[in-house]
Amino acid sequence: MNAIIISAVLGVIMMFSGIFLKKNSSIAALAILGIIILLAVTIMEMSGYHFFAVDTHGMLFFDAFGLLFNCVAFAGTLALFLLNAKDIAAIGNNPGEYFALIFFVLCGIAIASSFNTLLMLFIGIEIISIPLYILTGSDKRNLKSNEASLKYLLLGAFSTGLMLLGIAFLYGASEKGSFFIDELAIGKAAASPLLMAGLLLITTSLAFKVSAAPFHFWAPDVYDGAPTPVTSFMATVVKGGAFIAFIRLFGDAFVELKSQWQIFIAILAAATLLIGNITAVFQQSVKRMLAYSSVAHIGFMLFALLTLNTLAREGTILYIAAYSAATIGLFAILAKMKDHGFEGFNGMARQYPKLALAATIFLLSLAGIPLTGGFLAKYYMIASVMQTGHFLWLVILSLFCAAISIYYYFRVIQAMYFKEGQGQHLEVSAGFSGWLIVLAIIVILLGIFPQWLIDRLYIIYL
Amino acid sequence: MNLTQILFWFLSALALFSAIMVVISKNPVHSVLWLIVVFFTISGHYILLNAQFLAIVNLIVYAGAIMVLFLFVIMLMNLNAETEPQKNKWLKMAGVIGGGALLLVLVAALKDADTRNQIAQTGVGDIGLIHNLGLVLFKEYVIPFEISSVLFLSAMVGAVVIGKKE
Repeated sequence: MNAIIISAVLGVIMMFSGIFLKKNSSIAALAILGIIILLAVTIMEMSGYHFFAVDTHGMLFFDAFGLLFNCVAFAGTLALFLLNAKDIAAIGNNPGEYFALIFFVLCGIAIASSFNTLLMLFIGIEIISIPLYILTGSDKRNLKSNEASLKYLLLGAFSTGLMLLGIAFLYGASEKGSFFIDELAIGKAAASPLLMAGLLLITTSLAFKVSAAPFHFWAPDVYDGAPTPVTSFMATVVKGGAFIAFIRLFGDAFVELKSQWQIFIAILAAATLLIGNITAVFQQSVKRMLAYSSVAHIGFMLFALLTLNTLAREGTILYIAAYSAATIGLFAILAKMKDHGFEGFNGMARQYPKLALAATIFLLSLAGIPLTGGFLAKYYMIASVMQTGHFLWLVILSLFCAAISIYYYFRVIQAMYFKEGQGQHLEVSAGFSGWLIVLAIIVILLGIFPQWLIDRLYIIYL
Repeated sequence: MNLTQILFWFLSALALFSAIMVVISKNPVHSVLWLIVVFFTISGHYILLNAQFLAIVNLIVYAGAIMVLFLFVIMLMNLNAETEPQKNKWLKMAGVIGGGALLLVLVAALKDADTRNQIAQTGVGDIGLIHNLGLVLFKEYVIPFEISSVLFLSAMVGAVVIGKKE
């Protein structure tokens, strides 16, 4: 509850900051302070300090899984702010409002990771979506940004409608007529047609929100058109938030019906892996390539939804942490660049050796090379599928797709180290490269001591 | 046949008639006016079920706000026979087949859904009264109610960000 209330209050504070603070840098500093406070209160809630005694009537349910994810999401946002806060403030003329909208999204994420009724799920997903439509279009002079925003709004509104219809069907299918997820599917031997219709619609809608194939078509255009720091936020923190909602919904409400929907999720994961990885190979712009790579990574994350065992829950947290750290770092470098093509990276190792080194570590982690967080995250996902004893074909397919992904990630490394070229001039401060190196070290630490993060799931004093 | 039943059948017949008129009217402004009649008859149904609040909200939101928007849009677009787009015959056929297929799927999905054997409680239920609504909203559902304020606030901030001059 701490995070939900504090993030909403911080949003309001950021909204009014534009009146009192004139300089972009002071607004950015205030936002960094805000996100540190938010992270601190979430960690304190995990240690048992509750600032607000609110009777939620069982509509919100805080457990270690959701709270730990909140910590990861807020830490990711902190990394984004430390690296790119000035770029966010420089998108347009309303720097305070951009940060306010980001804090509102974080409020939605805190709800989506702790909902216990479909009502709160819907409100959470909407609080995540609506500020994002605006952030996507916040670069008003850029036609691509406008197009992305409109596309995202129309498709997002449509998928929200599907979700509402699904919720209505589930409400009708529940015996008592209830939105509570623990009363939805209990004691049903054979799923009723109403329940299956609702499940299908809600799966479609959430698959759209996490951009799983074949509902991914909006993602590359929107990620490409949005301002780069916003893309970074959308592709990591927000995607993780929607995915946690997905896992919580299926893990708490529909786990008894696993045999009914498991094959459907398996096909979804396979299609996402194939389409994401194969299309990423053909991209000419690194920003677009990262958009497709984020689709591909959702394919791996869907393994957790498929199995829903202990390894899956541990792996989800690790996966989101490793993937977010690496992707935020890469987008932070992209946000400083004018040319987003592969050629833009030519000869970067000579000009900016620190940046190139950090980018290499991020790319290695995304490709899943051992000693980085990305490797262990993929390992957990595949291990959780192997534990079920089924879906061996999916494991083989995922290994094949991971091999494809090495090609397009290494293309960037090759451009940085082995291609001659007069790279573009980047305006990077010493602080920026410093934080980037810290982030790269975190990625490596996640690969060596993953237990440090995963153990937080089990140490809790509620 | 008591008075409630007479009212029910009258409102139902009027609702269906005006709904059909919405579709078959040539003049779009007439369509909108017929749609207002539909909303009034549906509000009448709500009052029969003793749901006064729903009836009034239905009138204010739909017949009031949304219909005005419809009228504005129609007047701004200045629709008449010349500007009407020529629809392809095959497109129409495709639309009919698509809609029909959706109807089939929905019927197939819903035919097994058992209806609860309850007769509508006309004029006796008190669930739709504003007193009960307030109690439920501010006691049981106070969390979603309050949290949706964040949603509206963010939408408002967004409208300002998008609308402000650069």
